[in-house]
Amino acid sequence: MSPSGRLTDQSARPRRRLAAVAALAVAALTALALPSGPAAAEDSPSPSVSGSGSGGASAVPEHGRSTFVLGVKQDIDSFNPYMGVVATAYEVYQLVYDYLTGSSASDFSAVPNLAESWETSPDGKVWTYHIRQGVKWSDGQPLTAKDVAYSFQRAKDGEQENAQYAAYVDQISKIEATDANTVVMTTEEPSPSMLRLLVPIVPEHIWRDVPSKKVKEYANDNKPVGSGPFTLTEVKSGQYYRFAANKSYWAGAPKIDELIIRVFTNDEAMANALKKGEIDMLNDVTYGVLESLQNQPGITTSSSKYSGFSEIAYNLGAETIEGKKIGNGNPALTDKQVRLAIDYAIDRKTLLEKVLRGHGSEGSGVIPPIYPNWHWNPGGGARGFDLAKANSTLDAAGYVKGADGIRAKGGTRLELRLFGRDNSEESKKAVEYVRDWLGQIGIKVNVQIMSEDNLTEVIGKGEYDMFQWGWVVEPDPDFQLSVFTCDQRSYTDAGEVAAGWSDSFYCNPAFDALYKKQKTLLDPGQRAEVIKQAQQMLYDDVVYSTIWYYDNPEAYRSDRFTGLQRQPTDGGSFVFQYGTYSYRSVEPVAEKPKDEGTGLGLVLGVAGGVVGAAAVAVLVVALRRRSTADDRE
Amino acid sequence: MTATALTPRALARQRRRRALAAFWNAFRRDREGVIGLVLLLVCVAVAVMAPLFVDADELSVTRASGPPLVGPSGAYPLGTDDDGRSVLTMVVWGSRTSLLVGLTATAISMVIGTVVGVAAGHFRGRPGGLLDRVTDFFLVVPFLPLAIVLATVLRDRWPDLPKVLAVIVVIGITSWPVTARLVRAQALAVEGRPYLERAKALGAGNWHQITRHVLPNVMPVVFANTTLSVSIAILAETTLSFLGLGDPLNPSWGTLLDGAYSAGAVSRGAWWWAVFPGLAVAVTVLGFNLCGRAVERVLDPRLRGRV
Amino acid sequence: MAIPAVASASETAEVAAAGRRISRAGGGRWVLRKLFGAALTLAFVLVFNFVLFRLMPGDPAKAFLRGRAANPERLIQLRQQLGLGEPLPVQFWRYAMATVSGNLGDSWSMGNRPVTELIAERLWPTVLLSGTSVVLAALIGMWLGARAGWRHGRAFDKLTSGAAIGLYSLPEWWFGLLLLLLFGSTTGLALFPSGGMTDPRGGLNPAVDALYHLVLPCATLTLVYIAEYSLVMRSSVLDERYADYLTTARAKGLRDDQVLSRHALPNALLPTLTLFFMSLGYVVSGAITVETVFSWPGLGYLSYEALSGPDIPLLQGLFLVFSASVILLNLVADLIYPFIDPRVRLA
Repeated sequence: MSPSGRLTDQSARPRRRLAAVAALAVAALTALALPSGPAAAEDSPSPSVSGSGSGGASAVPEHGRSTFVLGVKQDIDSFNPYMGVVATAYEVYQLVYDYLTGSSASDFSAVPNLAESWETSPDGKVWTYHIRQGVKWSDGQPLTAKDVAYSFQRAKDGEQENAQYAAYVDQISKIEATDANTVVMTTEEPSPSMLRLLVPIVPEHIWRDVPSKKVKEYANDNKPVGSGPFTLTEVKSGQYYRFAANKSYWAGAPKIDELIIRVFTNDEAMANALKKGEIDMLNDVTYGVLESLQNQPGITTSSSKYSGFSEIAYNLGAETIEGKKIGNGNPALTDKQVRLAIDYAIDRKTLLEKVLRGHGSEGSGVIPPIYPNWHWNPGGGARGFDLAKANSTLDAAGYVKGADGIRAKGGTRLELRLFGRDNSEESKKAVEYVRDWLGQIGIKVNVQIMSEDNLTEVIGKGEYDMFQWGWVVEPDPDFQLSVFTCDQRSYTDAGEVAAGWSDSFYCNPAFDALYKKQKTLLDPGQRAEVIKQAQQMLYDDVVYSTIWYYDNPEAYRSDRFTGLQRQPTDGGSFVFQYGTYSYRSVEPVAEKPKDEGTGLGLVLGVAGGVVGAAAVAVLVVALRRRSTADDRE
Repeated sequence: MTATALTPRALARQRRRRALAAFWNAFRRDREGVIGLVLLLVCVAVAVMAPLFVDADELSVTRASGPPLVGPSGAYPLGTDDDGRSVLTMVVWGSRTSLLVGLTATAISMVIGTVVGVAAGHFRGRPGGLLDRVTDFFLVVPFLPLAIVLATVLRDRWPDLPKVLAVIVVIGITSWPVTARLVRAQALAVEGRPYLERAKALGAGNWHQITRHVLPNVMPVVFANTTLSVSIAILAETTLSFLGLGDPLNPSWGTLLDGAYSAGAVSRGAWWWAVFPGLAVAVTVLGFNLCGRAVERVLDPRLRGRV
Repeated sequence: MAIPAVASASETAEVAAAGRRISRAGGGRWVLRKLFGAALTLAFVLVFNFVLFRLMPGDPAKAFLRGRAANPERLIQLRQQLGLGEPLPVQFWRYAMATVSGNLGDSWSMGNRPVTELIAERLWPTVLLSGTSVVLAALIGMWLGARAGWRHGRAFDKLTSGAAIGLYSLPEWWFGLLLLLLFGSTTGLALFPSGGMTDPRGGLNPAVDALYHLVLPCATLTLVYIAEYSLVMRSSVLDERYADYLTTARAKGLRDDQVLSRHALPNALLPTLTLFFMSLGYVVSGAITVETVFSWPGLGYLSYEALSGPDIPLLQGLFLVFSASVILLNLVADLIYPFIDPRVRLA
C-alpha cells in the first residue's frame, strides 16, 4: 500500500467548535477502515450485498437475535448527510454510508475503504483511486466509481451540499470516473488531505432524483439506500432509531443483528437505563455519573482518550480582514505581557483535578496528544502556575494597582469580561476558578454565562475579552491550524461584519507562512515538524491558554457484550470514532444472562399496582364505614 | 398631614386601622393561616439573616473545602454537592434569591395587574375594551411556553441583563393578568357605588376617583392574591432554572436543583443534593399557599369557617 | 401549569358568571361574539409571535446558517428568501399567510425539517400523557373533593385537603424526579422504566409497553393535578352544603348521601367541569418539565430540545400551537357551557 496514511488532509467540517459536554464525540468522521489495518485490505472479501432483504420491515426482533442498544443524549437532527449538524447524525452517516478512505483503529492512519488502493502523480496533484469491486448498495445495485464521482461532484456543486463538505472538496478542481472502478481527482496544489476526504458516498440512482434545490426537504429517513455496515430500518423521532446489520458487508458482517440508538434527555435517565439493562452502552454523561457507574455489577466504565481540548481564549484586538477595527475588546489584551501574566495565573492542575475530576490531561499545544505525530508540548519549558511571576510580569509591563486593588496602565484598567457557556457545567466552574486567580493578580473579571449561539455571535463581532470554549480536532490538523490564520478573521460583507472561524483575531504572517507550508508537504515527517513549530508559535504568543484535553466518558454492559474496539487502540474511544469498528466487532458474551430487567420489573410493577389499588379500596371502604357511622350519630 | 382628628383623611386612616385589627383577629383564629405564617416567617428570617451564619465565600466552587458528595452528617447536616460545598449553606443562601425573585416578580405583576385592572374597570368603552383584550390574551396564553419564549428573547437580545433580573421580569409580566381580572371585577363593583357617583358629581377627577375610592377598595383583593402569587413565582423560578433559563451566577433553589439534576445526583445516589432544596421550595410555597388561602377566607365572609 | 391552576379557581366562577350573563342576551349573537373574541386573541398571538421573532438578536439569515461558514452571496440570497429586506407589514402579511396555510417554517436544529411535521409527530404522545393525567385527576379529584367537602372538618377532609395543598406546593418536575428515584431507579425500587415511551428492545406488546412507560410520568402529573380538582370541588360542595335548599331537602327526610348525590353534587360539579374543560386546552403544553424528566417524546420534550440553540422557528411554532389549543378549547368550553349548566338553560 503506497501511502499508508501519514499524508494528511485538509479538513474543515463546519461546526467544529463543540461543547465539551454536548459533543464529546464528534462531527468529523472518517470512513471505516479495516480492523486490522491496511495490510488486511488486500485480502478482505468483496462480497456482494444482496440488498433486497436487508432493510427488512420487521420492527420487533424475534428472540435469539442480538440487539445492541446505545444511549445518547443528543437527538439525531437529520438522516440526510447534507443536512445534519450534530455528532449523533455523523455517527449514523458512518453506519449507513461508506467513505473513500478510512482512519485506522490503531492510530488514525489513512487506510483503504471503498478505495482499495490509490496513486499520486509525481507532482502530487493528480490522485487516482481504485474502487473496490463487487460492493453493492442495500437495494442490490452495484456501487461503482460513478457513484463516487457523483458524490464528490455533488459536494462540490450543490449549495447546501458544499456548505456541509466544502473543506474536503474545495481544493479539487476536477473529478472523473475514468472507468467503473477508477476515480481520478485533480487538485490545484499538492495536498496531503486527499486521503481524508470525509464525504459520504451516496447512490447516484437515488440522489439524482433529489435536486440540490430540494435537498433540504429530503429527510432520507425511509430506509435510505447505502453501502455501510448497517441499514436504517425504523425511525422514532425523539425515542430511538433502529438499524439492521448488513450481513453481506464487504469488510465482514457485523456480529450483532441489530443496533438501536436510543435518545435520553438527561444523565439521570440514561445512567439508570444502563444499570437496569434497558440499554447496553452510554457515553456523554458527566464524569461524576461515570464514576458512579464504576462499581456497578456487569458494567465496565472507560474514561477514554479523546480528540478535544478546551481553552481560555483572548480577544487579541478584533479587526476585520479589511483592517477595520471592530468590537469592544479591552486593549490591554493586545499586550502579550498581560496574556502571559494571565496564563501564569491559570492553575491547569487544579482545573484538571477539580473541574474534570482528573478525566483528562493538562493542556498545551492545540493538537491533542491523541495524535502523537502532530501533538506538540513545551515539555520542561512549560509555563507553570506562578502567581508571583504573574504579578511581576504585570508590574514590569507597567500595570500598577489602583486604590481598589485593580491594576491599570494609562487609562486602561484591567477589568475583563469572561464568558462561560450555559450548557456546560465544566465551563461554568472553570470560569469561576479563573476569575478567582486573576483577582489575586489585580485583574477584575466579570463573568457572564451565555448560550453557545450567543457566544458565537459576540465572538464574530469582537465583543468580548475572554471566553472559555473548546474544539474537537480531526485526525488531520489542517483545519485546527487554519483557525488561527489572518484569513479566518471576520470580514465585512455588504456593510456588515460576518464571522470567519477565528475566535482570537490572531494575525501573524509568520504563522500564516507555516500554515501554508504544512498544507503542501506530502512527507509526513516534514509536515509534522512544521505543524509543531506552528503550535509552539501559538503557545509563545499566548493566543489561547489551552487548559485541558478532556476524556470521553463511556460505559457498557460487559456482562452482555464484548469485543468493543478502541480507537486509537491505546486508550481511545469505543464509539463516536472515525470509523465503525466497535459496531462491527461488538458481540454478545457467550453465556447471555437472562434478561430479567424489564420482565421482572413489569411483574413487580403490576403486582405493586394491584396491591396499591387494593389498599386504596380497603381505605375507601373503611372510610365509608366510618363516615356512615358518623352520619348515623 | 398632622391635621385634627376630624379631617376625612384621619377618619379614613382610623377606619382602616380598625379594619386591619379586625383582619388580624380573624386571621389569628385561622389555624391553617397561622401555620403558613410561621413557615413564612422562618423562611424570611433565614433569608435575611443568612449572612450572619453563612459565609458567602463557601458558595464558590473554588473555595469549597468539604469532601465531595458526602451524605448528611454532623459537619454537613444536609450533605455536600460534588464540589464539596455544603448543601445547607447553598439552601440557606439560595433562599435569598428565591424569595427575592418571588417577591419582586409578584410586586411587578401586582403593579401591572392593578393598574390594568383599575384602568379597565374605570375607563369603560374603547380603552377598557382594549385592556380587556390584552388581559385576555395574557390570561389564555399558557404560562410556561410564554415564559420560555420571553426568557429566550431576553437572554439572547440583552445578554448583558443580569439573568436574575430577566427571570423576575419574565415571571412578572406573565403572571399579572389574574390580578388584573380580579381587580377589574372589584373595580367594576366599586364603580357602581353611590359614593363614587357622589364624588363624580362633586367634580372629582379620574385621578382622585381612582386613588381615593377605587384603589382602597381594591387593595384587599390584591393583597390576598399577592400571597398566592408569590408561591407561583417561586415555583416558576425553579421551573425556568430547570429549563436552563435561570441565573447560574446567583444561586437560588431553582439553580441548585437544576445543578443537582444535571450532575445526575439521583443516579449517583446523592439524594440529599436533590431532595433538600426541593423541600425548601415546597415548605416555602406551602407557607405562602396556606397564608394566601387564609387571607382569602378572612376577606371573603362566604368562605369563613372553612378550614 | 402552575399559573392557570390558581387562576382557574377564581376564573372558573367568573367564566361561569359571564356565560350566564351573556347567554341571556341572546344565543346567536353570543356565539358570534365568542367566536370573534377567540379569533381576535389568535390574531394577537400571531402578532406577538411575529414581533418577538423580530426582537431576536443579530441577523436571522446568519442564525439560519448556524455557524456554517457562509459566503456573502449565500447570505444575501437567504435574506431575500426570508424576506428580510421588505417592510415590516409585508413581512407580517407573509408570515400570517404562511401560518394560516399550515407552514410554520423550517426548524433550525432538526435538519431543517418543517416545524409542522415535527409538531405533528410529537403531538400524540403528549395528548396521551397529559390527556390521561387530566382525566384521571379530574375523576379522582372530584371524588376526593366532593367527599372532603361533604365530610367537612373530619379526618378524611383534613387528610385530603392537607395532601392536596402539599402536592400543590411542589415543583412538578422535582416531584417527578422523586418518583423516578423511588420507583424507577436502582437507588429505590426499580419497578418502572426510567424513561421513554417504548423499550425498543421489544418483547412486550407495544400498547402494553407504552402503558408501562406511562405509569410514572402519568402518576406525577395526575397527583399534581388532583390537588387542584379536589380543592375546587371541595369548595363548591361546601358552597352547596350550607345552602338553604339542602336544609329543605334534608327536612324532606332524604338520607344524607341522597342529598349529596341528588342535590348538592349536580350543582357543585359545574365549576369543576369548567375547570376540566379549561384545562383540556393546557393539555398540550402542560407537561414540558415532566416530559423532560421522563424522556417522554412529546411536545414538552420537543420544547426542551428547541431551547438549546435556541431553535427559534420551532419555539415559535410550539408557542403558537400551545396558545391556539388553549384558545380553541376554551372556546369549545364556552360554547358547551350553556348545555351543562341547568341554570343557564333555564334562562
